[in-house]
Amino acid sequence: SGELYCSLPNPRNVHFESVNMKNVLHWSAPEGTGDGVLYKVKYSVYGVGKWIRKPECRNINRTWCDLSSETSDYEEQYYASVKAFLNGKCSDWIETTRFNPLTDTKIDPPMVSVSSTEKSISIILTAPETWKRSPEGESISLLQVYPGLQYNVSVLNKKTKKRWFFSISNNTLVVPQLEPDTVYCVSAQIHVITPLLHSGFSKEYCIATLKDKTA
Amino acid sequence: EDALLPAPQNISILSTNMKHFLTWSPVIIQGETVRYSVEFQGEYEREYANESWIPICECSLITATVCNITEDISATVAYNLRVRAGVGARRSEWGTLKVFFNRVTTSLTPPLMKVIADGSHLLVELEDMGPAFQFCVLYWKKGQESRMQQKVVKEVRSMVHLDTMEEGTDYCVKAQTYVEAINRSSSFSQTQCVRAQGGTSKWL
Amino acid sequence: LTAGNKIFHFGPCRVSMSLTEIRSGFTAIKANVQARDPVRTLSILSHPHSLHKVKSSDRCCITHHLFNFYVDKVFKHCKTEDSYVNRKISSIANSFLSVKRKLEQCREQNKCICGQESKEKFEQILLNYEALNITSAAIKSLGELDILLDWV
Repeated sequence: SGELYCSLPNPRNVHFESVNMKNVLHWSAPEGTGDGVLYKVKYSVYGVGKWIRKPECRNINRTWCDLSSETSDYEEQYYASVKAFLNGKCSDWIETTRFNPLTDTKIDPPMVSVSSTEKSISIILTAPETWKRSPEGESISLLQVYPGLQYNVSVLNKKTKKRWFFSISNNTLVVPQLEPDTVYCVSAQIHVITPLLHSGFSKEYCIATLKDKTA
Repeated sequence: EDALLPAPQNISILSTNMKHFLTWSPVIIQGETVRYSVEFQGEYEREYANESWIPICECSLITATVCNITEDISATVAYNLRVRAGVGARRSEWGTLKVFFNRVTTSLTPPLMKVIADGSHLLVELEDMGPAFQFCVLYWKKGQESRMQQKVVKEVRSMVHLDTMEEGTDYCVKAQTYVEAINRSSSFSQTQCVRAQGGTSKWL
Repeated sequence: LTAGNKIFHFGPCRVSMSLTEIRSGFTAIKANVQARDPVRTLSILSHPHSLHKVKSSDRCCITHHLFNFYVDKVFKHCKTEDSYVNRKISSIANSFLSVKRKLEQCREQNKCICGQESKEKFEQILLNYEALNITSAAIKSLGELDILLDWV
Protein backbone atom coordinates (compact mmCIF):
# COMPACT_ATOMS: atom_id res chain seq x y z
CA SER A 1 0.00 0.00 0.00
CA GLY A 2 1.36 3.45 -0.86
CA GLU A 3 2.88 4.82 2.30
CA LEU A 4 1.50 8.17 3.42
CA TYR A 5 3.80 11.11 4.00
CA CYS A 6 5.58 10.13 7.18
CA SER A 7 6.14 13.26 9.23
CA LEU A 8 4.41 12.15 12.43
CA PRO A 9 6.78 11.82 15.41
CA ASN A 10 7.80 8.24 16.05
CA PRO A 11 6.49 5.87 18.71
CA ARG A 12 8.99 5.76 21.58
CA ASN A 13 10.61 3.09 23.69
CA VAL A 14 9.48 0.17 21.50
CA HIS A 15 10.47 -2.94 23.44
CA PHE A 16 9.44 -6.45 24.45
CA GLU A 17 8.24 -7.10 27.98
CA SER A 18 8.45 -10.83 28.62
CA VAL A 19 7.36 -12.68 31.74
CA ASN A 20 7.32 -16.50 31.84
CA MET A 21 7.66 -16.45 28.06
CA LYS A 22 4.58 -14.34 27.53
CA ASN A 23 6.12 -11.86 25.10
CA VAL A 24 4.27 -8.54 24.76
CA LEU A 25 5.44 -5.64 22.63
CA HIS A 26 5.09 -2.28 24.36
CA TRP A 27 5.71 1.31 23.27
CA SER A 28 4.91 4.89 24.20
CA ALA A 29 2.85 7.26 22.09
CA PRO A 30 4.74 9.70 19.86
CA GLU A 31 5.71 12.91 21.60
CA GLY A 32 3.13 15.67 21.54
CA THR A 33 0.30 13.63 20.02
CA GLY A 34 -2.95 13.58 21.92
CA ASP A 35 -5.69 11.01 21.43
CA GLY A 36 -6.59 9.42 18.18
CA VAL A 37 -3.22 7.91 17.28
CA LEU A 38 -3.51 4.47 15.71
CA TYR A 39 -0.75 1.90 15.31
CA LYS A 40 0.31 -1.02 13.12
CA VAL A 41 2.67 -3.78 14.22
CA LYS A 42 4.90 -6.18 12.32
CA TYR A 43 7.54 -8.65 13.40
CA SER A 44 10.33 -10.71 11.86
CA VAL A 45 12.36 -13.77 12.74
CA TYR A 46 16.00 -12.79 12.88
CA GLY A 47 17.85 -14.18 9.87
CA VAL A 48 14.68 -14.66 7.81
CA GLY A 49 14.01 -12.18 5.08
CA LYS A 50 10.48 -10.94 5.63
CA TRP A 51 8.43 -8.81 7.96
CA ILE A 52 5.08 -10.24 8.93
CA ARG A 53 2.11 -8.03 9.79
CA LYS A 54 0.12 -8.79 12.95
CA PRO A 55 -3.54 -8.43 11.89
CA GLU A 56 -4.86 -8.29 15.48
CA CYS A 57 -2.69 -5.26 16.06
CA ARG A 58 -3.67 -3.31 12.95
CA ASN A 59 -5.13 0.19 13.48
CA ILE A 60 -5.18 -0.24 17.26
CA ASN A 61 -5.14 2.69 19.67
CA ARG A 62 -3.59 0.80 22.60
CA THR A 63 0.20 0.84 23.05
CA TRP A 64 0.88 -2.88 23.43
CA CYS A 65 0.53 -5.99 21.30
CA ASP A 66 0.80 -9.60 22.47
CA LEU A 67 3.28 -11.39 20.19
CA SER A 68 3.65 -14.49 22.37
CA SER A 69 2.30 -16.79 19.71
CA GLU A 70 4.55 -15.35 17.03
CA THR A 71 7.66 -15.54 19.23
CA SER A 72 7.02 -18.86 20.97
CA ASP A 73 9.96 -20.71 19.38
CA TYR A 74 12.65 -19.89 21.91
CA GLU A 75 15.35 -21.24 19.63
CA GLU A 76 14.78 -18.24 17.38
CA GLN A 77 15.32 -14.53 17.92
CA TYR A 78 13.01 -11.74 16.81
CA TYR A 79 12.53 -8.11 15.96
CA ALA A 80 9.23 -6.20 16.11
CA SER A 81 8.32 -2.82 14.73
CA VAL A 82 5.56 -0.22 15.23
CA LYS A 83 4.23 2.58 13.00
CA ALA A 84 1.88 5.38 14.14
CA PHE A 85 -0.90 7.11 12.17
CA LEU A 86 -2.81 10.34 12.90
CA ASN A 87 -4.88 12.58 10.63
CA GLY A 88 -3.46 11.17 7.42
CA LYS A 89 0.13 11.36 8.61
CA CYS A 90 2.32 8.52 9.71
CA SER A 91 5.56 7.91 11.53
CA ASP A 92 8.53 5.76 10.56
CA TRP A 93 8.65 2.10 11.50
CA ILE A 94 10.42 1.96 14.84
CA GLU A 95 12.07 -1.34 15.78
CA THR A 96 12.94 -3.17 18.96
CA THR A 97 16.41 -4.44 19.72
CA ARG A 98 16.93 -8.14 18.97
CA PHE A 99 14.73 -10.18 21.31
CA ASN A 100 15.91 -13.56 22.61
CA PRO A 101 12.96 -15.25 24.37
CA LEU A 102 15.29 -17.61 26.25
CA THR A 103 17.49 -14.98 27.90
CA ASP A 104 15.29 -11.88 27.81
CA THR A 105 12.29 -13.22 29.75
CA LYS A 106 11.64 -12.57 33.43
CA ILE A 107 10.58 -15.44 35.63
CA ASP A 108 7.95 -15.11 38.35
CA PRO A 109 8.61 -16.63 41.78
CA PRO A 110 7.35 -20.18 42.33
CA MET A 111 4.06 -20.99 44.05
CA VAL A 112 4.70 -22.28 47.57
CA SER A 113 2.41 -24.65 49.46
CA VAL A 114 3.26 -25.68 52.98
CA SER A 115 1.82 -28.24 55.37
CA SER A 116 2.94 -29.14 58.85
CA THR A 117 2.97 -31.83 61.48
CA GLU A 118 4.08 -31.47 65.08
CA LYS A 119 7.75 -31.44 64.24
CA SER A 120 8.10 -30.85 60.53
CA ILE A 121 6.96 -28.79 57.61
CA SER A 122 6.60 -30.02 54.04
CA ILE A 123 7.08 -27.60 51.19
CA ILE A 124 5.93 -28.10 47.60
CA LEU A 125 7.08 -25.63 44.99
CA THR A 126 5.41 -25.06 41.63
CA ALA A 127 7.19 -23.16 38.92
CA PRO A 128 5.03 -20.55 37.18
CA GLU A 129 3.25 -21.66 34.04
CA THR A 130 4.73 -20.42 30.79
CA TRP A 131 2.60 -18.79 28.09
CA LYS A 132 0.18 -21.05 26.27
CA ARG A 133 -1.85 -20.64 23.10
CA SER A 134 -5.21 -21.16 24.76
CA PRO A 135 -6.49 -21.60 28.31
CA GLU A 136 -7.12 -25.28 27.60
CA GLY A 137 -3.85 -25.68 25.79
CA GLU A 138 -0.69 -27.27 27.14
CA SER A 139 2.13 -25.00 28.24
CA ILE A 140 5.76 -26.03 28.10
CA SER A 141 7.20 -26.31 31.62
CA LEU A 142 10.00 -24.03 32.72
CA LEU A 143 12.04 -27.12 33.58
CA GLN A 144 11.91 -28.15 29.92
CA VAL A 145 13.05 -24.72 28.82
CA TYR A 146 15.75 -24.44 31.51
CA PRO A 147 17.03 -27.92 32.40
CA GLY A 148 19.35 -26.53 35.10
CA LEU A 149 16.48 -24.91 37.03
CA GLN A 150 16.87 -24.94 40.83
CA TYR A 151 15.04 -23.48 43.82
CA ASN A 152 16.45 -21.46 46.70
CA VAL A 153 14.19 -21.81 49.77
CA SER A 154 14.26 -19.64 52.87
CA VAL A 155 12.68 -20.86 56.14
CA LEU A 156 12.22 -18.32 58.94
CA ASN A 157 11.56 -19.40 62.53
CA LYS A 158 9.28 -16.60 63.72
CA LYS A 159 10.11 -17.33 67.37
CA THR A 160 13.90 -17.25 67.13
CA LYS A 161 13.91 -14.94 64.07
CA LYS A 162 16.55 -17.23 62.52
CA ARG A 163 16.41 -17.78 58.75
CA TRP A 164 17.81 -20.87 57.06
CA PHE A 165 18.52 -21.34 53.35
CA PHE A 166 18.19 -24.49 51.28
CA SER A 167 19.09 -25.02 47.64
CA ILE A 168 17.19 -27.87 45.95
CA SER A 169 16.85 -29.22 42.46
CA ASN A 170 13.54 -31.04 42.83
CA ASN A 171 10.41 -29.18 43.91
CA THR A 172 9.76 -30.68 47.35
CA LEU A 173 11.47 -30.15 50.68
CA VAL A 174 10.71 -31.58 54.11
CA VAL A 175 12.29 -29.87 57.12
CA PRO A 176 12.16 -32.29 60.05
CA GLN A 177 12.95 -31.95 63.80
CA LEU A 178 11.30 -28.56 64.24
CA GLU A 179 9.82 -27.11 67.41
CA PRO A 180 6.14 -27.84 67.97
CA ASP A 181 3.63 -25.00 68.14
CA THR A 182 5.95 -22.62 66.31
CA VAL A 183 5.31 -20.47 63.25
CA TYR A 184 7.63 -20.95 60.30
CA CYS A 185 7.51 -18.69 57.22
CA VAL A 186 8.68 -20.03 53.88
CA SER A 187 9.60 -18.18 50.70
CA ALA A 188 11.28 -19.45 47.56
CA GLN A 189 13.07 -18.27 44.44
CA ILE A 190 13.81 -19.86 41.06
CA HIS A 191 17.46 -19.92 40.03
CA VAL A 192 18.69 -20.85 36.53
CA ILE A 193 22.46 -21.15 35.96
CA THR A 194 22.59 -21.22 32.13
CA PRO A 195 21.56 -18.64 31.07
CA LEU A 196 21.83 -16.86 34.39
CA LEU A 197 18.26 -16.00 35.47
CA HIS A 198 16.73 -15.40 38.93
CA SER A 199 13.11 -14.92 39.89
CA GLY A 200 12.46 -12.75 42.89
CA PHE A 201 11.62 -14.47 46.18
CA SER A 202 7.96 -15.33 46.58
CA LYS A 203 5.96 -13.74 49.33
CA GLU A 204 6.18 -15.58 52.65
CA TYR A 205 3.81 -18.46 53.40
CA CYS A 206 3.57 -19.00 57.15
CA ILE A 207 2.36 -22.08 58.98
CA ALA A 208 2.48 -23.25 62.58
CA THR A 209 3.69 -26.71 63.61
CA LEU A 210 1.08 -28.56 65.64
CA LYS A 211 1.05 -28.59 69.41
CA ASP A 212 3.01 -31.40 71.03
CA LYS A 213 0.27 -33.78 72.25
CA THR A 214 2.62 -35.41 74.77
CA ALA A 215 3.55 -32.10 76.44
CA GLU B 1 63.43 15.44 23.11
CA ASP B 2 64.23 15.49 26.88
CA ALA B 3 66.02 12.55 28.43
CA LEU B 4 63.73 9.51 28.36
CA LEU B 5 62.08 8.62 31.67
CA PRO B 6 63.26 5.37 33.21
CA ALA B 7 60.79 2.52 32.67
CA PRO B 8 58.99 1.20 35.77
CA GLN B 9 60.80 -1.73 37.43
CA ASN B 10 59.89 -4.69 39.67
CA ILE B 11 56.62 -5.24 37.81
CA SER B 12 54.79 -8.13 39.43
CA ILE B 13 51.35 -9.52 40.15
CA LEU B 14 49.68 -10.17 43.47
CA SER B 15 46.85 -12.65 42.99
CA THR B 16 44.73 -14.03 45.79
CA ASN B 17 41.27 -15.62 45.52
CA MET B 18 40.88 -14.59 41.88
CA LYS B 19 41.60 -10.92 42.61
CA HIS B 20 44.62 -9.86 40.59
CA PHE B 21 46.71 -6.72 41.13
CA LEU B 22 49.64 -5.42 39.10
CA THR B 23 52.28 -3.58 41.14
CA TRP B 24 55.57 -1.85 40.30
CA SER B 25 58.22 0.34 41.88
CA PRO B 26 57.68 4.09 41.60
CA VAL B 27 59.74 6.13 39.15
CA ILE B 28 61.17 9.04 41.12
CA ILE B 29 61.72 12.39 39.27
CA GLN B 30 62.50 15.24 41.60
CA GLY B 31 59.84 17.90 41.68
CA GLU B 32 57.62 16.05 39.18
CA THR B 33 54.41 14.05 39.43
CA VAL B 34 54.91 10.81 37.57
CA ARG B 35 51.85 9.12 36.08
CA TYR B 36 51.57 5.55 34.86
CA SER B 37 49.53 3.72 32.22
CA VAL B 38 48.88 -0.01 32.07
CA GLU B 39 48.07 -2.29 29.12
CA PHE B 40 47.37 -6.03 28.89
CA GLN B 41 47.74 -8.68 26.20
CA GLY B 42 46.13 -12.09 26.29
CA GLU B 43 47.25 -15.21 24.49
CA TYR B 44 44.63 -14.44 21.85
CA GLU B 45 46.17 -11.04 21.12
CA ARG B 46 49.64 -12.56 20.87
CA GLU B 47 48.67 -15.37 18.54
CA TYR B 48 45.76 -14.00 16.52
CA ALA B 49 45.78 -10.19 16.74
CA ASN B 50 49.30 -9.10 15.77
CA GLU B 51 50.49 -9.04 19.39
CA SER B 52 48.21 -6.07 20.06
CA TRP B 53 47.93 -4.49 23.51
CA ILE B 54 44.77 -3.26 25.16
CA PRO B 55 44.78 -0.26 27.49
CA ILE B 56 43.13 -0.47 30.90
CA CYS B 57 41.43 2.89 31.15
CA GLU B 58 40.98 2.68 34.94
CA CYS B 59 44.78 2.61 35.12
CA SER B 60 45.56 5.27 32.58
CA LEU B 61 47.69 8.24 33.79
CA ILE B 62 47.39 7.19 37.45
CA THR B 63 49.82 8.20 40.19
CA ALA B 64 49.37 4.99 42.18
CA THR B 65 51.80 2.11 41.59
CA VAL B 66 49.11 -0.59 41.70
CA CYS B 67 46.34 -1.49 39.26
CA ASN B 68 43.40 -3.86 39.77
CA ILE B 69 43.45 -6.01 36.63
CA THR B 70 40.86 -8.56 37.81
CA GLU B 71 38.21 -7.46 35.32
CA ASP B 72 40.54 -7.98 32.34
CA ILE B 73 42.20 -11.22 33.43
CA SER B 74 38.98 -13.07 32.71
CA ALA B 75 40.16 -16.17 30.85
CA THR B 76 42.40 -19.03 31.89
CA VAL B 77 45.21 -18.24 29.45
CA ALA B 78 48.66 -16.63 29.79
CA TYR B 79 48.51 -12.84 29.99
CA ASN B 80 51.26 -10.29 29.56
CA LEU B 81 51.12 -6.84 31.14
CA ARG B 82 53.12 -3.67 30.74
CA VAL B 83 53.44 -0.28 32.46
CA ARG B 84 55.04 2.95 31.38
CA ALA B 85 55.72 6.21 33.21
CA GLY B 86 54.89 9.69 32.01
CA VAL B 87 55.63 13.27 33.05
CA GLY B 88 53.76 15.80 30.97
CA ALA B 89 54.42 14.79 27.35
CA ARG B 90 57.49 12.72 28.23
CA ARG B 91 57.01 8.94 28.21
CA SER B 92 59.22 6.11 29.41
CA GLU B 93 59.73 2.82 27.64
CA TRP B 94 57.29 0.09 28.59
CA GLY B 95 58.23 -2.07 31.52
CA THR B 96 56.86 -5.57 31.04
CA LEU B 97 56.17 -8.59 33.30
CA LYS B 98 59.12 -10.97 33.39
CA VAL B 99 56.85 -14.01 33.27
CA PHE B 100 53.36 -14.29 31.80
CA PHE B 101 50.54 -14.52 34.31
CA ASN B 102 47.83 -17.17 34.23
CA ARG B 103 45.06 -16.88 36.80
CA VAL B 104 45.26 -20.61 37.40
CA THR B 105 48.16 -19.71 39.72
CA THR B 106 46.05 -17.51 42.00
CA SER B 107 46.43 -18.46 45.65
CA LEU B 108 43.22 -19.76 47.19
CA THR B 109 42.65 -19.34 50.91
CA PRO B 110 40.27 -21.48 52.95
CA PRO B 111 36.89 -19.77 53.48
CA LEU B 112 35.88 -18.05 56.69
CA MET B 113 33.19 -20.23 58.16
CA LYS B 114 30.94 -20.28 61.20
CA VAL B 115 29.07 -23.41 62.21
CA ILE B 116 25.80 -23.09 64.12
CA ALA B 117 23.53 -25.63 65.75
CA ASP B 118 20.03 -24.20 65.88
CA GLY B 119 18.06 -26.71 67.87
CA SER B 120 18.82 -29.97 66.12
CA HIS B 121 19.68 -28.31 62.83
CA LEU B 122 23.24 -27.98 61.59
CA LEU B 123 23.88 -24.73 59.71
CA VAL B 124 26.90 -22.95 58.28
CA GLU B 125 27.63 -19.33 57.50
CA LEU B 126 30.19 -18.77 54.74
CA GLU B 127 32.07 -15.70 53.62
CA ASP B 128 30.90 -14.23 50.30
CA MET B 129 33.98 -14.40 48.07
CA GLY B 130 32.36 -13.38 44.79
CA PRO B 131 30.56 -15.12 41.91
CA ALA B 132 33.57 -17.20 40.87
CA PHE B 133 33.46 -19.18 44.13
CA GLN B 134 31.57 -22.26 45.20
CA PHE B 135 32.06 -24.07 48.50
CA CYS B 136 32.46 -27.73 49.28
CA VAL B 137 31.27 -28.31 52.84
CA LEU B 138 32.06 -31.61 54.59
CA TYR B 139 30.29 -32.64 57.79
CA TRP B 140 30.32 -35.74 59.94
CA LYS B 141 29.48 -37.12 63.35
CA LYS B 142 32.48 -36.68 65.58
CA GLY B 143 34.51 -39.87 65.59
CA GLN B 144 32.93 -41.10 62.34
CA GLU B 145 35.32 -39.38 59.93
CA SER B 146 34.90 -42.25 57.53
CA ARG B 147 31.23 -41.35 57.00
CA MET B 148 31.66 -37.77 55.89
CA GLN B 149 28.85 -36.10 53.97
CA GLN B 150 29.32 -33.35 51.39
CA LYS B 151 27.26 -30.37 50.33
CA VAL B 152 28.19 -28.02 47.46
CA VAL B 153 27.08 -24.47 48.13
CA LYS B 154 26.94 -22.40 44.95
CA GLU B 155 25.41 -19.26 46.29
CA VAL B 156 26.37 -17.79 49.59
CA ARG B 157 23.37 -17.01 51.76
CA SER B 158 23.44 -16.09 55.40
CA MET B 159 22.69 -19.46 57.02
CA VAL B 160 22.90 -22.51 54.79
CA HIS B 161 21.12 -25.57 56.17
CA LEU B 162 23.31 -28.67 56.13
CA ASP B 163 21.36 -31.34 57.94
CA THR B 164 19.40 -32.34 61.03
CA MET B 165 21.34 -33.75 63.97
CA GLU B 166 20.70 -36.45 66.50
CA GLU B 167 20.28 -34.84 69.88
CA GLY B 168 23.34 -34.96 72.13
CA THR B 169 25.68 -35.90 69.24
CA ASP B 170 28.69 -33.81 68.25
CA TYR B 171 28.95 -32.82 64.62
CA CYS B 172 32.04 -31.44 62.90
CA VAL B 173 32.27 -29.31 59.76
CA LYS B 174 35.02 -28.07 57.47
CA ALA B 175 34.86 -26.26 54.10
CA GLN B 176 37.00 -25.44 51.09
CA THR B 177 36.40 -23.11 48.16
CA TYR B 178 36.17 -24.35 44.57
CA VAL B 179 36.74 -22.10 41.55
CA GLU B 180 35.16 -23.68 38.52
CA ALA B 181 36.85 -21.34 36.02
CA ILE B 182 40.30 -22.66 36.95
CA ASN B 183 39.11 -26.01 38.30
CA ARG B 184 40.99 -25.63 41.57
CA SER B 185 40.12 -25.79 45.27
CA SER B 186 41.55 -24.16 48.38
CA SER B 187 42.76 -26.13 51.36
CA PHE B 188 40.15 -26.89 54.00
CA SER B 189 39.23 -24.50 56.74
CA GLN B 190 39.75 -25.33 60.39
CA THR B 191 37.26 -27.96 61.58
CA GLN B 192 34.52 -26.65 63.82
CA CYS B 193 32.31 -28.91 66.00
CA VAL B 194 28.99 -28.24 67.67
CA ARG B 195 26.47 -30.21 69.64
CA ALA B 196 22.72 -29.98 69.34
CA GLN B 197 21.04 -29.43 72.65
CA GLY B 198 17.34 -28.78 72.83
CA GLY B 199 17.21 -25.50 70.93
CA THR B 200 20.43 -23.84 72.17
CA SER B 201 23.77 -24.50 70.56
CA LYS B 202 26.84 -25.33 72.54
CA TRP B 203 30.31 -24.79 71.09
CA LEU B 204 32.89 -27.50 71.67
CA LEU C 1 24.66 -33.66 26.63
CA THR C 2 24.98 -32.55 30.22
CA ALA C 3 23.69 -29.06 30.38
CA GLY C 4 25.69 -28.19 33.50
CA ASN C 5 28.02 -25.33 33.45
CA LYS C 6 31.22 -27.22 34.21
CA ILE C 7 31.96 -30.45 32.31
CA PHE C 8 30.53 -30.76 28.82
CA HIS C 9 30.17 -34.31 27.48
CA PHE C 10 30.27 -34.54 23.70
CA GLY C 11 30.19 -38.30 23.49
CA PRO C 12 33.66 -39.51 24.61
CA CYS C 13 34.99 -35.95 24.57
CA ARG C 14 34.77 -34.32 27.99
CA VAL C 15 35.59 -30.60 28.11
CA SER C 16 35.38 -28.39 31.18
CA MET C 17 34.00 -25.07 30.02
CA SER C 18 33.05 -22.17 32.22
CA LEU C 19 30.50 -20.52 29.93
CA THR C 20 29.30 -18.24 32.71
CA GLU C 21 32.16 -15.81 32.15
CA ILE C 22 31.74 -15.86 28.37
CA ARG C 23 28.01 -15.30 28.74
CA SER C 24 28.40 -12.44 31.24
CA GLY C 25 31.04 -10.84 29.02
CA PHE C 26 28.69 -11.08 26.03
CA THR C 27 25.66 -9.84 27.96
CA ALA C 28 27.62 -6.73 28.89
CA ILE C 29 28.10 -5.78 25.22
CA LYS C 30 25.16 -7.54 23.51
CA ALA C 31 23.01 -4.44 22.91
CA ASN C 32 26.03 -2.43 21.68
CA VAL C 33 27.24 -5.12 19.28
CA GLN C 34 23.81 -6.13 17.93
CA ALA C 35 23.01 -2.46 17.31
CA ARG C 36 26.00 -2.37 14.95
CA ASP C 37 24.41 -5.12 12.80
CA PRO C 38 21.64 -3.61 10.65
CA VAL C 39 21.07 -6.76 8.57
CA ARG C 40 17.94 -8.49 9.89
CA THR C 41 17.48 -10.81 6.97
CA LEU C 42 20.63 -12.91 7.28
CA SER C 43 21.94 -14.97 10.15
CA ILE C 44 25.35 -16.62 10.30
CA LEU C 45 24.45 -19.41 12.71
CA SER C 46 20.69 -19.96 12.76
CA HIS C 47 19.44 -19.86 9.15
CA PRO C 48 18.67 -21.59 6.91
CA HIS C 49 19.58 -24.49 9.22
CA SER C 50 19.32 -24.11 12.99
CA LEU C 51 22.12 -25.35 15.21
CA HIS C 52 19.43 -26.98 17.27
CA LYS C 53 18.75 -29.53 14.53
CA VAL C 54 22.32 -30.96 14.61
CA LYS C 55 22.56 -34.68 15.47
CA SER C 56 24.21 -35.31 18.84
CA SER C 57 26.97 -37.36 17.22
CA ASP C 58 28.03 -34.30 15.27
CA ARG C 59 27.85 -31.83 18.15
CA CYS C 60 31.46 -32.13 19.20
CA CYS C 61 32.75 -31.53 15.69
CA ILE C 62 30.44 -28.58 15.06
CA THR C 63 31.38 -27.07 18.43
CA HIS C 64 35.06 -27.43 17.60
CA HIS C 65 34.55 -25.91 14.15
CA LEU C 66 32.63 -22.98 15.66
CA PHE C 67 35.18 -22.18 18.37
CA ASN C 68 37.90 -22.27 15.70
CA PHE C 69 35.77 -20.08 13.44
CA TYR C 70 35.36 -17.42 16.11
CA VAL C 71 39.03 -17.47 17.14
CA ASP C 72 40.48 -17.63 13.64
CA LYS C 73 38.05 -15.44 11.72
CA VAL C 74 35.69 -13.39 13.85
CA PHE C 75 37.21 -11.65 16.86
CA LYS C 76 40.10 -9.99 15.06
CA HIS C 77 37.68 -8.06 12.84
CA CYS C 78 35.53 -6.78 15.69
CA LYS C 79 37.66 -3.90 16.92
CA THR C 80 35.45 -0.92 17.87
CA GLU C 81 36.02 2.66 18.97
CA ASP C 82 34.71 1.74 22.41
CA SER C 83 37.50 0.58 24.74
CA TYR C 84 35.06 -1.10 27.12
CA VAL C 85 33.63 -3.19 24.27
CA ASN C 86 37.14 -4.02 23.07
CA ARG C 87 38.15 -5.26 26.53
CA LYS C 88 35.09 -7.48 26.74
CA ILE C 89 35.79 -8.86 23.26
CA SER C 90 39.34 -9.64 24.38
CA SER C 91 37.97 -11.45 27.43
CA ILE C 92 35.60 -13.53 25.29
CA ALA C 93 38.29 -14.22 22.67
CA ASN C 94 40.77 -15.47 25.26
CA SER C 95 38.09 -17.66 26.86
CA PHE C 96 37.26 -19.08 23.42
CA LEU C 97 40.95 -19.78 22.85
CA SER C 98 41.10 -21.68 26.12
CA VAL C 99 38.10 -23.84 25.12
CA LYS C 100 39.38 -24.29 21.58
CA ARG C 101 42.59 -25.80 23.01
CA LYS C 102 40.61 -28.33 25.01
CA LEU C 103 38.47 -29.31 22.03
CA GLU C 104 41.66 -29.71 19.97
CA GLN C 105 42.87 -32.31 22.45
CA CYS C 106 39.65 -34.25 21.88
CA ARG C 107 40.18 -34.10 18.12
CA GLU C 108 43.75 -35.30 18.45
CA GLN C 109 42.51 -38.23 20.57
CA ASN C 110 39.82 -39.03 17.96
CA LYS C 111 37.06 -38.32 20.44
CA CYS C 112 35.46 -35.67 18.27
CA ILE C 113 34.35 -37.33 15.05
CA CYS C 114 33.31 -35.19 12.08
CA GLY C 115 30.45 -36.62 10.01
CA GLN C 116 28.90 -35.43 6.78
CA GLU C 117 26.27 -33.37 8.55
CA SER C 118 28.76 -31.29 10.52
CA LYS C 119 30.77 -30.73 7.34
CA GLU C 120 27.70 -29.46 5.46
CA LYS C 121 26.47 -27.47 8.43
CA PHE C 122 29.76 -25.66 8.84
CA GLU C 123 30.03 -25.02 5.08
CA GLN C 124 26.64 -23.30 5.26
CA ILE C 125 27.89 -21.11 8.12
CA LEU C 126 30.94 -20.10 6.07
CA LEU C 127 28.68 -19.33 3.09
CA ASN C 128 26.55 -17.09 5.29
CA TYR C 129 29.72 -15.44 6.60
CA GLU C 130 31.16 -14.80 3.17
CA ALA C 131 27.89 -13.30 1.93
CA LEU C 132 28.78 -10.12 3.83
CA ASN C 133 31.84 -7.90 3.90
CA ILE C 134 34.33 -9.05 6.48
CA THR C 135 33.64 -6.45 9.19
CA SER C 136 29.86 -6.79 8.95
CA ALA C 137 30.16 -10.57 8.98
CA ALA C 138 32.42 -10.49 12.03
CA ILE C 139 30.19 -8.08 13.98
CA LYS C 140 27.10 -10.14 13.04
CA SER C 141 28.81 -13.32 14.20
CA LEU C 142 29.81 -11.67 17.46
CA GLY C 143 26.21 -10.48 17.94
CA GLU C 144 25.03 -14.08 17.54
CA LEU C 145 27.17 -15.46 20.39
CA ASP C 146 24.05 -16.02 22.48
CA ILE C 147 22.72 -18.31 19.75
CA LEU C 148 25.91 -20.38 20.11
CA LEU C 149 25.89 -20.27 23.92
CA ASP C 150 22.18 -21.18 24.14
CA TRP C 151 22.89 -24.15 21.86
CA VAL C 152 26.06 -25.40 23.54
